[in-house]
Formats: sequence, structure tokens, C-alpha cells
Amino acid sequence: MGDIPERVMEAPTYFDRPVLKPPRWDWNVTAYLFLGGIMGGLGLLSLVARGDREDERRLRRTARFASLALAAANPALLISHLGRPERFLHMLRIVKFRSPMSLGVWGLLLYSGAAGANVVRELAEAGVLPRWTRHLAPSIATPLQALLGAFTAGYTGVLLSATAIPLWAAGKRHIPAASVCSGLGGACALASLLSALQGNDSVKPKLERLEMVAVTAELFVLNDFRKAGGYYAKPLFEGSRGERLRAYTMLAGIAVPTALNTLGAIVELPRPLDAIRTAAASVLTLVGGYVFRESLIESGKLSARDPHAAFVQPR
Amino acid sequence: MSTGFFTDTTLCIGCKACEVACKQWNELPSDGFEFTGDSYDNTSQLSGTTWRHVAFVEQMSLGEEGLRDRWLMLSDVCKHCANAGCMEACPTGAIVRNEFGAVFVQPDVCNGCGYCVVSCPFGVIDLIETFDPKGTLYNLATLRTDRREAEQTALQATGGVAGKCTLCYDRQRLGVEPACAKACPTESIQFGEIDELRERARRRVDALQARGVGASLYGADDVGGGVGPLHAFFLLTDRPETYNLPPQPVLPSTHQRAGYTAAALAVAGLTAVAWAIFRSA
Repeated sequence: MGDIPERVMEAPTYFDRPVLKPPRWDWNVTAYLFLGGIMGGLGLLSLVARGDREDERRLRRTARFASLALAAANPALLISHLGRPERFLHMLRIVKFRSPMSLGVWGLLLYSGAAGANVVRELAEAGVLPRWTRHLAPSIATPLQALLGAFTAGYTGVLLSATAIPLWAAGKRHIPAASVCSGLGGACALASLLSALQGNDSVKPKLERLEMVAVTAELFVLNDFRKAGGYYAKPLFEGSRGERLRAYTMLAGIAVPTALNTLGAIVELPRPLDAIRTAAASVLTLVGGYVFRESLIESGKLSARDPHAAFVQPR
Repeated sequence: MSTGFFTDTTLCIGCKACEVACKQWNELPSDGFEFTGDSYDNTSQLSGTTWRHVAFVEQMSLGEEGLRDRWLMLSDVCKHCANAGCMEACPTGAIVRNEFGAVFVQPDVCNGCGYCVVSCPFGVIDLIETFDPKGTLYNLATLRTDRREAEQTALQATGGVAGKCTLCYDRQRLGVEPACAKACPTESIQFGEIDELRERARRRVDALQARGVGASLYGADDVGGGVGPLHAFFLLTDRPETYNLPPQPVLPSTHQRAGYTAAALAVAGLTAVAWAIFRSA
């Protein structure tokens, strides 16, 4: 895959006009894909954090509160991009397994339910809500939230690849995999930033190690996409779009935070300095994650305008 | 019974009566005027409010036998695919297949998410704007004030949703043929029962080939990639790319399985790593 037969590349175009229609999506969809990935990653973090260790219990609480906040923000973003926002509820008329857009809405909704139940449990255990309310969130709610989180982080990639946009279709394996990696990386970055702010320093090394693995995996997937995607992948990796992806995502969003996190792992920095290091690494990872989604959307628009890529569509 | 269009490009004279008839019958607003300089094609493309588009291809070459020139014209339209990408993608169920076998957008159900737009392998369906502040898009600025206000109100009421050819659902319900086919003066656009049209198209190809014209059908049979045969198909005398038709379209939903599998593998791998980091000590 990735290469278009010579005879098609030499085919006459129709005044170089696009065959396909570009995506009609802007910053709100980018933000939704970005925050949806983080939200999903937080679900996994709240599953792996152990309840019998004080620092990890605090991490779990932070992850649960943050994921509920994101679950509240995401529908707003989703609704704001609709041409007829007042008709959002029409999405809930049906469940359609063939449409990632439909499944994703249901995934988001169920995730919100699980995240809400787990927050209720946290509040009940903290004594804010009556004690009996913790039964509203049975222990199955935690793995359920993680599972739904994994789905919300991954389906955003499938949503893009199950389209006719040549770049996205050519990345049918790479884009979903990279979306999961980027989502978990962002979740770790957000969690370590919040942990640093709370002074919950002992959990940071674990988060940072996981973040390094996730974003490094993302880098490998992106690099493999560049090679395997061939002609179809060019809009993402070449030109000013490609430079932006390399500068903000690959360098500032993956390489630099990984270097900072490695530094934190081998050198013991004094506390304020270490908090600044964590903050810098986290913010950079988050920026990189956002630019990754933005690059996908914007280079998808470029890809749609290329008639040759649309003549022979990736299988 | 399924009905459809057989568009025979060898008969098209580029009069654009189909475009006009479609706009008029379906009460579609103007898309604004842009002089493209691309032959006689100032319509440019199908859109949410343009459901027929006549493409003009000027072919001229100076060879040993002298000047060779020919004009190809094709009235493009929604293909009403047997397996429609837009219909599969639609999360509201607004896009349905109606009793005439056509792919139909229910405007009162559509919420304008735009997922069908990227899921059409032919680039047909698009969103209709609700309001254009500069008034240039639909030529509103050139209208008299009272007309402008009426058009703006109409767009606010009907826009924001996806739009494309309905195969004149309302006219078919009344038992009359779609407006474009009715208006076509040369019978380049033929409307009818799909199987009958395919047979007619094959006979036409045979007749043309007997006369030495290199004719072929596009979409009368399965176009591949999971899209299946098209309910609006074409007779071409050049390769499909020439008319801006993709020779190898792909049904987008065929990518889903690979996508979900890749995501699941990434999730499994990262969960294992996370488990090892948090739970091993």
C-alpha cells in the first residue's frame, strides 16, 4: 500500500479539481479528539493505580475527577461543531455498529456514567456525600470505565480512518494506534502535572515512565506511517504541515518531554526545580498531543484536495 | 423496484438544463458566481445545494494527422451506491434508502455532524451553510433587499444539514420522472428501472463500439472496493479520471476492522506496561 500506479499518477485530472469533499471540521473537533484521548487514558490510570497505597489512591482520585470534568466538556465540544446543535439528541435515536460516530457518542455517554459513579464513590468515601451513595459505584465501575476509556481513546482514530479521505484511510492501522498512545501519554502528562501541583511527588516517576513508553510508541507508529503510507501520507509529513508536526509533536511534544522525564529519573533535582521540570514536560506533551490531532484534521483537508490520491483509494 | 439514472455522455451537449431544472424544482439557492476559466464549467462541483454538475473536458492535440479535438461533457450526480458510504456513516439514521432504492437524506433528522461528507468516496454529499454573513456564497448580496431577507430566512431554516440529490423523491412519489431527466433535451440523462437501464446501456455501448467509438460503462456493474454497482451510472468515452470519477473507489467502512484491531493491540500493549509499572512493586 502507499504507492499509486504510474498510469494513475499520469492520468489527466479534471482541471486539478478535488474529487472528494474536505472534512468540514475545525478546532472543536480537534479539541474533542484530543480531550477524548486524554479522558480515555485517565480511565486506564484509575484502574492501574492501587488503592492500598496512599500516593496512588490520591492519583486515582485525581484521575477520576479529571476524567469526569473532561466527560462534561466533551459533549459541549461535540455539540458545538454540529451544523444543527439543537439536534444533538438525534444521535441517540439509534445505535449503529457500522458508524464509529454513532458508537463513539454512546461510548462517551457510557463513559460519563461510569466516571460519574466513580466520582460519587470518591465523594462518599471522603464523607462529602452520605456513605450509602458509594454503593452507586460497585467495584466493577473502575474496570468498566477503563474499558470504555480505551474505546473512546481508540475510536477517534477509527472515526478518521473509516472515511474516504486518502490520508486517513491509508492510516487505518497507524492512526488508531497512535491515537491510543497519544491519549495515554496526554493522560499521564495531565496526571503528573496535577500530582506535582498537589505535592504528590512519589507517584510522578511511575506516571512519567508510562508517559515515556506511550509517547515513544506514538513516535514509532508515526514514523512507520510515514514509510508505509507512501504517497497517501505525504500531506501529514511534508510541507509546512509536516514541519509543524515534526516541531510541535515529534520534537517538542515527544523528544523533549522524554529527555526531561529521563533527566528526572536519573538525577534527583530539588523540589521546586523538579516541579518545574514536570510541569514543562507535561505541558509540552499536551501541546504535542493537540498538534498531532490538529495535523491529522488539517492534513486530511489537504489530502481530500488531491485528485490523484482519490482516484485510487487506499484499501 | 429500484430506479436510477443512466447518463450517456456521448449525447450530452453541455446545455446545463439539468442543473437549472434541479435547482428550480428542488428550490436550491444559488452557489454564487465564480468565473473559473475552466472551459464552460463555472459550477465546479456538486455541493449541498448543487445536485447536478456538468463537467466540460476539452481535449485538443496536434499530431501527425493534424488537429484533433473533442469535447467531453458529463452531467455528474449522486451515484446512489448499492453500498453507500454516507448512509453507513450517518450516526442519526437520517440517511436512508427509500422505496425507490435511492439514498435519501431526511433533513429533519440530520444534525449536520458532517461525517457523511468525508465518507462519500465520490465527494458528492456536503453540508449546506446556514447563513453567509458576507452574502457572497449564495449570491444574496446581489438580490433585492426583500428577496435577500427571504432567502436568508430560508437558509436559516433549511441549512446546517447535509444535502445531495434525492433522485427527485417527491416527483417519483407523484409518478413523474426526476426534473433533470425531464429537462434533458438529448436524453443524455435517462431515468428508469435500474435493470432495464443497464440493459439499455449495454446495447448502447455495443452500438457505439460497432461504430468505432471507445465507449465503456462506469458503475453499471460493481465498481469494486465494496461499493457495489451504482444506481446512477455513466457511459464514458475516456478513462474515468478524465471526468473526475475515481476508477477505484473504496467503501470507507471496510477500514473499520483493521482500525479497531490496531487500537485494541495498542491498548493491550500499553495496559500491560502500565500494569507492570504500577502493580509490579
